Amino acid sequence: MSSFDAIIPTQANAVKSSGSPPEYKSSTKKFEVFDAALRVLLFATALVAIIVMATSKQTKVFTLLPGMTVLVVAKFDQSPAFIYFVAALSVACLYSIITVVLSILASMKKGGDTSNLHFYFMMFDVLLLGIVASATSAAGGVAYIGLKGNSHTGWAKICNVYGSFCFHVAASIVLSLISSITLLLLVWLSIYVLFKKITRR
Amino acid sequence: METQYKDVEVVNRGSSFNGKDLTLRFLALTLTLIAAVLLGVDKETTTVAITLVPSLPPVDLPVTAKWTHMSAFVYFVIANAISCTYAATSLIVILATSGKNKLASLVIIILDIVMVALLFSAVGATSSIGLIGYKGNSHVHWDKVCNVFNKFCHQVAIAVFLSFAGSITYLLLIVISALKLHKKF
Repeated sequence: MSSFDAIIPTQANAVKSSGSPPEYKSSTKKFEVFDAALRVLLFATALVAIIVMATSKQTKVFTLLPGMTVLVVAKFDQSPAFIYFVAALSVACLYSIITVVLSILASMKKGGDTSNLHFYFMMFDVLLLGIVASATSAAGGVAYIGLKGNSHTGWAKICNVYGSFCFHVAASIVLSLISSITLLLLVWLSIYVLFKKITRR
Repeated sequence: METQYKDVEVVNRGSSFNGKDLTLRFLALTLTLIAAVLLGVDKETTTVAITLVPSLPPVDLPVTAKWTHMSAFVYFVIANAISCTYAATSLIVILATSGKNKLASLVIIILDIVMVALLFSAVGATSSIGLIGYKGNSHVHWDKVCNVFNKFCHQVAIAVFLSFAGSITYLLLIVISALKLHKKF
């Protein structure tokens, strides 16, 4: 019985599924493993994004007059958008740890009924997807202005001066984009599992 | 055993979408449409007094603020336009198939989640740029502009709020879909 049949249920499909409970349990096992793997990926990318953003501090020496030097520092906490980015990704990190544990515990449970868990996962995953997506784009917006500047408002670009800082920020944003795509895949997985449970009956 | 199956089949053949779903989709359509239009027509021209030479009186220079000046605002308008179009299309698809097509329902739920992420990201980007425009950033010497362009900034704030309400509406749509998928079990 291919998984294609489950998406578009027919009368014949419903009658066929009456005699195959073991196959149903093993196919859910595959999804549990995939679910746990995606959550580990989410944890990894969120953690690395936070670390890369937090270690992005760069100091530059400017010579105003001969003999008078000024140290100017670029740090992530000088912009509220980057602070929000770090906060949102640490929430995602903590959430991924909790749900990895829950997912592995559910996959070890005898019985194979994980629809309740996937229902709750779906709710919180969508909420977290919104938060991580907004954090990514907030940091991305500020970083884009830092990269290109804005002539209409008179905001000068800083990435020509602080190259390493900008590189750290860019890498961090790419990693959090991967996190949000991972969360999207997790929600799709939960929907597919819930949908299969209906159509298998 | 056979009669049990017959009961479940009758339930499964029913409509996947009800009135709450359609109302929420229509609400999302209007909210994102108004948000996109509000920012899309946002333009303000004021004069700024600039002193070129200290001995001469200050010269009045006209300055314009348009939404196309900021790439985050362009992204906001495009994202809201996409989600408005999607809300209209999904509304038409649901009404046309009367919610009976399972594949269409699944695709609509999948795309709803993509719309949540898109709208949340648009709100995040625009509000972070708006915050810089409102307060400035002393560390990078980016001056605030909202003291000059008051009306422009207010319109941006209202559009962001409406788009945020639209994204919450999409979130509620996902919640309703999840409840429907779970209760059938």
